[in-house]
Amino acid sequence: MQKIPLRKIIFLFTMFSAIAFARFNVVASYPYLGKIVQAVGGDNVKVKVLASAKFDPHFVIPKPSLIPAISRADMLVANGAGLEIGWLPPLLKNANNPKVRIGTKGFVDVSRAVHLIDIPKSVSRAYGDVHPEGNPHFNCDPNNVLPIARLITKKLVRLDSAHAQVYQHNLARFTAKWKTFLRTFNARMHSCKIKKVVQYHELFNYLLRRYGIESAATVEPLPGIAPTSKHTLALINQMKKEHIRTIIEDPYHEKHTAKFIASKTGAKVIVLPHDVGAVRGTDTLEKFYKTIAARLCQ
Amino acid sequence: MTKKIILLSLATSVSLFAQSELEALQAQLTQQMRTTQALQKRVAELEKKERARKKAAKAQKDQAAEKKEEESQALAVAQESQETEAPAVTFDQKSFLPDIALILDGSAVGRNMDNSTYESFYIPGFSTYDASKETEIPFNKNRGFNFNYAELALHSTVGPYFDADAIFHLKSDSFEIEEAYITSRSMPYGLRAKAGKFRSEFGRINAMHQHAWTFTSQPLVFNALFGSEGINDAGLQIQWVLPTDTYIMAGAEALQGDNDVSFGDTEKNNLYIGYLKSSIDLTDATTLLAGASILHGKNTENKYTDIYGADLTVKSALSSYSSLMWQSEMLYRDYRHYRGTADDAKQAGYYTQLVYQYNQNWTAGIRYDSLFKNLDDQPDDLDGYSALLEYKPFEFTKFRLQYTYDKSKTFGFDNQRKNVSTIMLDFTIEAGAHGAHAF
Repeated sequence: MQKIPLRKIIFLFTMFSAIAFARFNVVASYPYLGKIVQAVGGDNVKVKVLASAKFDPHFVIPKPSLIPAISRADMLVANGAGLEIGWLPPLLKNANNPKVRIGTKGFVDVSRAVHLIDIPKSVSRAYGDVHPEGNPHFNCDPNNVLPIARLITKKLVRLDSAHAQVYQHNLARFTAKWKTFLRTFNARMHSCKIKKVVQYHELFNYLLRRYGIESAATVEPLPGIAPTSKHTLALINQMKKEHIRTIIEDPYHEKHTAKFIASKTGAKVIVLPHDVGAVRGTDTLEKFYKTIAARLCQ
Repeated sequence: MTKKIILLSLATSVSLFAQSELEALQAQLTQQMRTTQALQKRVAELEKKERARKKAAKAQKDQAAEKKEEESQALAVAQESQETEAPAVTFDQKSFLPDIALILDGSAVGRNMDNSTYESFYIPGFSTYDASKETEIPFNKNRGFNFNYAELALHSTVGPYFDADAIFHLKSDSFEIEEAYITSRSMPYGLRAKAGKFRSEFGRINAMHQHAWTFTSQPLVFNALFGSEGINDAGLQIQWVLPTDTYIMAGAEALQGDNDVSFGDTEKNNLYIGYLKSSIDLTDATTLLAGASILHGKNTENKYTDIYGADLTVKSALSSYSSLMWQSEMLYRDYRHYRGTADDAKQAGYYTQLVYQYNQNWTAGIRYDSLFKNLDDQPDDLDGYSALLEYKPFEFTKFRLQYTYDKSKTFGFDNQRKNVSTIMLDFTIEAGAHGAHAF
């Protein structure tokens, strides 16, 4: 009686592990990277995303439950530019997987494919939580998607050369589709009336700069430092003087400071998603960027 | 030369054969000599050919080298102005410097007991008071101000195969190697090895440094079974992440057994530790981590001590900056005595703590400590309560205000059990390149 279920379990286990090992395993740090990997990897890759879009990308809890996927990964795709520094290194260390260690072929830092902006001239923690490499929030600009997709494809081709043609083909198809999308996105953004905004954190600089919108100040006094009353009052005065009518918030920070500033200045608070799936109706790359444009240029 | 050898060897063999075969052999010999001569001739020819080929190749190579030199000279001329500007960085090794972090910890302490009485404490059944020896109280010892330590932490990748870490504790009167070890980087099959002096990774809190603890004081059960240092010893460790979808990690350590509170026989490596840890997500934002461990080693009575441990942590993220965490650990010790089983010490204790992080700046926590099983003739109502309020103005700076009511101690000063009330305000900073902490 006992033997039959045990044999079944072993059989099922072997079956499942065979299925699990058949595809090329890719781990992506953030949801948008997962979507890009899936687009160029197609059916040949199995993608696991580590961070949830519900939380601040700087402060992801390094849950041990994330370790097995990294342990088995053939490739790890990270945003880079310091964004994962607070949570990915201890996970990588405990995953004991030499294939995806930092500096190996399997570790892909997509910030290498992007021209980084806001590189600080001098670095000190006296200026708050600064990123010495530059602003890591380049995913808000859809124009950065293709360079990232090309880098990921290059790495996939190198590591899984048996499917090189499939990846190249997927990339070509995705490129064509994305270029079409960019045309409508650009048209939408160029019709945007907003010229000057205040952000909570410098999350949208890449997007704002590309479409000629000035980011005048931030709600937080320094990167990573919670708002102070002194800074908030100064900001209210600045917004009144410069006639700034828009405050851009992300979904995960507290909203009462922005609402308070809005009530004093008559400005409008706009919540923009910072990643795929961060707000409702943004479960694909296209919908994510469409939501940004729609909310910003309403 | 070859000919001579052949001749000699043949001559010797010939002498071994019977006389009657001599003539036949002579005929064979002349035949062989002829063959050898022919072979030698062919070898000489081949050698000649080879020499000619090499000569031609060398001539070609020389030409190429000359050409290359010309090219590089041209390049050098073009780059001369650049090169003369930065000769100082030729052998610069700055980029190979290790990550260096400085951690400082100090406190202000108020206690309902003078320092000399407090220093004579012991935990009945677990430790004794020896007036001739100074009690080891590494943190927050004195009423008033304490500078606990300056910690210097270095981390560097040594090569493709190993990482090196060293953590030094500097106090006003001592220098201590807290940890110094190498860790493997490239072992296959989910394996990782560590060697050196390190904090054992069984359970939850033993591997953490004081500055990473939620509370500023060590849990009572750890202090009772391992003393103030915990298990921090020289040895080897191997950890294995199983290839399963659920996180399961198995670890094994072989240590010298320096800790004389529970072990302490260092005649040879006498302490072995094994542990299993597993974690699952209960919901998207709630994670459970559980572990079981066993420590087996020789104690100073020349007998064995076994310690069994279990730990459970549940952490729930309420938002990006707010969370609720419940963490507990229990330890059971069987300390075998040289006098026989009647004197074996079977003791146990646990701690359980609930920590609420309100936002990026504020955290509050409570902890209950208990030693609920003791020797037959010793009290088993040893426990304590702690409450904590933490303020973090920035990620790498924290102030901890903690109140502890400790009912576990007897004082050698007059052999009386007394309850200790302590209130302390402690600051901790992490400056420089300090790696992120694990879960």
